[in-house]
Amino acid sequence: MSNKIHELVQTMFPPDGSGLKPYEWMVSPTRQRQWIDDKGIFLWLAFFFSEIGAGLYFVSLFYEYKAGLILGWLITLVLGGVIHMLYLGNPFRAWRMIMKPSTSELSRGIWIIGIFAALGLLQIVTAGSFNIVFNCIMGILCLLIISHGFATMNVIRALPAWSSTMVLPLSVISGIWIGHQILQFMFAVSGPQTLVSGMEIWAEAFFFAYFLCILLYAWGTYHSNEIGKESIILQVKGELSKISLAGVGGFGIALPLILTLIMWGGDTNSFLIFLRLASVLAGDLALRYVIMKSAMYKPLI
Amino acid sequence: MPRWGMVIDVKRCIACWSCTIACKEEHFLPPGVFFNRVLIGETGKFPSSSKLIYPILCNHCSDAACVEACPTGATYVREDGIVAVDDEKCVGCRACLVSCPYQQRTYYDQKVKDREYFPGQGKTEMELIGEKLYPLKVGTVIKCNFCAERVDDGMKKGLKPGEDEDATPACANACPVNARIFGDLDDPDSEISRLIMEKKGKQLRKEFGTEPAVYYID
Repeated sequence: MSNKIHELVQTMFPPDGSGLKPYEWMVSPTRQRQWIDDKGIFLWLAFFFSEIGAGLYFVSLFYEYKAGLILGWLITLVLGGVIHMLYLGNPFRAWRMIMKPSTSELSRGIWIIGIFAALGLLQIVTAGSFNIVFNCIMGILCLLIISHGFATMNVIRALPAWSSTMVLPLSVISGIWIGHQILQFMFAVSGPQTLVSGMEIWAEAFFFAYFLCILLYAWGTYHSNEIGKESIILQVKGELSKISLAGVGGFGIALPLILTLIMWGGDTNSFLIFLRLASVLAGDLALRYVIMKSAMYKPLI
Repeated sequence: MPRWGMVIDVKRCIACWSCTIACKEEHFLPPGVFFNRVLIGETGKFPSSSKLIYPILCNHCSDAACVEACPTGATYVREDGIVAVDDEKCVGCRACLVSCPYQQRTYYDQKVKDREYFPGQGKTEMELIGEKLYPLKVGTVIKCNFCAERVDDGMKKGLKPGEDEDATPACANACPVNARIFGDLDDPDSEISRLIMEKKGKQLRKEFGTEPAVYYID
């Protein structure tokens, strides 16, 4: 009996807020749910994997490191691509997105990923493909893929937490920062130690740029309008505060900061690099989660 | 070609939810899915507070955020201004749903389809007939279409939308106080154009620049 009552309650008042309470719809700031709750969680992961894969590919171009290219290419296409498909309601119709590149960021993103897949494969299989023209083209494609997820969110004017000016710089910096960390770890376990130490200078620069972007994003969104303010309050004090504090604050900022300070000046250590990589991966996942989860709509009345 | 729109007189609305129910009946919508809602809120502080009653539906914006966001062209603005969804083209990415500032779209998945009005009792005959008469495709986004079927069929019969019931959206027909007026926004002599002019019709959340075709007067 209690199961039936529970089922009835779930039907009448589903957790997505679309229950039989039409008078309560959008009368107060309403949280975006489609792109993070339930199946929307796939989109969060898809954007994340596309971003870090392209970030790794981008940084590998500078070091002309083919293993990095291969791994970056695979992460972007296999993990990012497959998870994207899992999210779609009708995945077998996804090809239709290619037909309308002028319509939206999503369509343009599919085109960019398609071109990246073809040219990336060509670069990987061709010997001596690290020429300046090819690298520039692939670099631009990587930057576009890194920013694709947040660019898709950024154009949504109804959600101030996403339409903030700092969303795109934050996504670009985070993609490069994480890509750099994966590559540094790959070198730490297989490459020359002088290279790993040399990369540490860039790690310091990327970390502080990442930290600055997070601060500017939070500050800018808070001061953008009432709803942006509500979103930041939800991130910092509301139901997302634990994820923000432990995930973004702890894993994304504090722990990498401590590890960066320990390895300051190039005094690197493979274990510490691994620890920092794991920490920034968790931190960036948390950051994306809170940004996606805290986006709110302005009430209608 | 007309451009269909609606005027809602919030002073007349008595929050009876007839429009909500008529819409659910017209489209055989499952539990929890609404193309029409009546929002109730308050403004000001006691003793000078007042109650707000706003019937809302898809605004059929001429510069619709959902159309801009759709990656396949499944959501489009018809020549007559109605924002429609071609469920054959919809991939279920929900970009339209997220981008709509009015949150007037619903993702129709298997979970929603399986909902019963009497949980555990199976679907009623009415629900089963509804699925045949007004089939909704799982994995696509659904929304108010200004009862485009009624409008199109009515016009084919020579009827005038907004004046003849058979060519007018169900919500406007059901309103017992005539708070909803449907008509052609491009016709300066139509009743809705006159009301918008005379009573200075306002669009909801105009700041998003979507140019809604639904106006509110008081």
